Amino acid sequence: MENGSLIGLSRQIALQRELDVVANNIANLGTTGYKAAGVVFREFLMPAARTNEHGGTDRKLSFVQDRATWQDFSQGPVEQTGNPLDVALNGDAFLVVQTPRGERYTRNGALQVNAAGELVTSEGHRVVGESGPITLQAGDKDVSISADGTISVREGKNTTDSIRGKLRLVSFADPQRLQKDGTSTFVAPTGVQPQPAALGTRVVQGVIEKSNVRSVIEMTRMIEVTRSYTQVAGILQQQSDMRRSAIEKLAEVPA
Amino acid sequence: MRALHTAATGMMAQELNVQVISNNIANMRTTGYKRQRVEFQDLLYEHVRRVGTQTSEQGNILPAGIELGSGVKTVGTPRVQTQGTLLPTDKPLDVAIRGEGFFKISLPDGRTAYTRDGSFALDAQGRVVTANGFVVQPGLTVAQNAKNLTINAQGQVSVLLPGSTTPTTVGQIGLTRFINKAGLNPIGDNLFTDTPASGTPQDGIANTDGFGDMQQSNLEQANVEVVTEISDLIAAQRAYEMNAKVVSAADQMMQSTANMFR
Repeated sequence: MENGSLIGLSRQIALQRELDVVANNIANLGTTGYKAAGVVFREFLMPAARTNEHGGTDRKLSFVQDRATWQDFSQGPVEQTGNPLDVALNGDAFLVVQTPRGERYTRNGALQVNAAGELVTSEGHRVVGESGPITLQAGDKDVSISADGTISVREGKNTTDSIRGKLRLVSFADPQRLQKDGTSTFVAPTGVQPQPAALGTRVVQGVIEKSNVRSVIEMTRMIEVTRSYTQVAGILQQQSDMRRSAIEKLAEVPA
Repeated sequence: MRALHTAATGMMAQELNVQVISNNIANMRTTGYKRQRVEFQDLLYEHVRRVGTQTSEQGNILPAGIELGSGVKTVGTPRVQTQGTLLPTDKPLDVAIRGEGFFKISLPDGRTAYTRDGSFALDAQGRVVTANGFVVQPGLTVAQNAKNLTINAQGQVSVLLPGSTTPTTVGQIGLTRFINKAGLNPIGDNLFTDTPASGTPQDGIANTDGFGDMQQSNLEQANVEVVTEISDLIAAQRAYEMNAKVVSAADQMMQSTANMFR
């Protein structure tokens, strides 16, 4: 194969990856706390000839390679649900969730209570408070979650609030290094340590943060991907035609 | 191509979303109905280039990797247990709970169910029953000739018997609460049964210990807000269409590959 075909192929592989990422973003349009992903491409330069001993330098061949996906950690739109156990985080922070596989971080604040009264995610994993899991008691009512994450309740006939715990909020110096772990959670790779969230972070009760996927942008990216893919396919087709006619012309042995 | 399957999970999720929204709208006039919401989560990721991998012996590491997601899944349809508005009905045996608690109902098969629907009536024996004829616990019987039935905030039922000027107490309708109301199992007919997820039922008396109070001659309406449901429906429909567009885009790309070199 000639280099032209291989360069076209590198572009097509990269475009397929990009469509995969766009498809996942669109599939998660309605996922609470989902953060959109994007693709980063880079140019991969290669000398055309194996040796550079010739007088003039060779023109470099430029392939494309997908280098990374990045996460868009911007704030998603906030939907009011009126559910007292729904929280959204305003600011650059994550809730901490205790899963059997270790600590995970999430922006999905659709919390629930399990049979033991513990605050859990919709997967049933415990939400971590500043001092262990947060447990509500049988007689508790009027749960209120303050801006700093303190959870207070009215217990039975009491007229004053009792505090049941405080949500642990963390942030990361470089959130791009977090890995998506499915079920709307992120995992920190080794060496990345969570820090207590900045002071300005606010917890808002009764609302959830929707997915921050912007559908118009994803649709345009999708059209761009399919069009470029078709264009590259056209270029490959032309090269193939060229090669075919060359073979036909050159192979014409005069009788 | 992965995009095809990813978009398919998105279409399935939005289809389920529309199902739940349509059930909410269908029940917007159902007494004691609590709206459901669909909870989505993203599926597993394939880490093509894992973030944090060493790129040199000097310890340089990848600052960001390639993560390809595989779509969306539905994790649950929790009920939003907010208070519905109370509608006055002038019927003495209509009771609404303002606040925490469920009525306890004996099912014909011996099980116990729980409901927020307090549209009660008397059966032929004078027992207080639900609209379906199931006995409301603890099983109160009102005499045939009794009149002026009143139910107070604590659920005490009293009647005026003929020849008497002071009301006679028939009994008290109790309430039951759960630590996790969202974990109750809906069995239709506005009834729920307890599950391991809901926690054990805790019986009590209305207007005490955090239980709600009872409002006679009122019914609790569904907490469905039509405006919210309709806008959710539009969003779900558009999201479905966009996922369908992704399917056709992936199809188009595969087609142009198939048409190459002919």
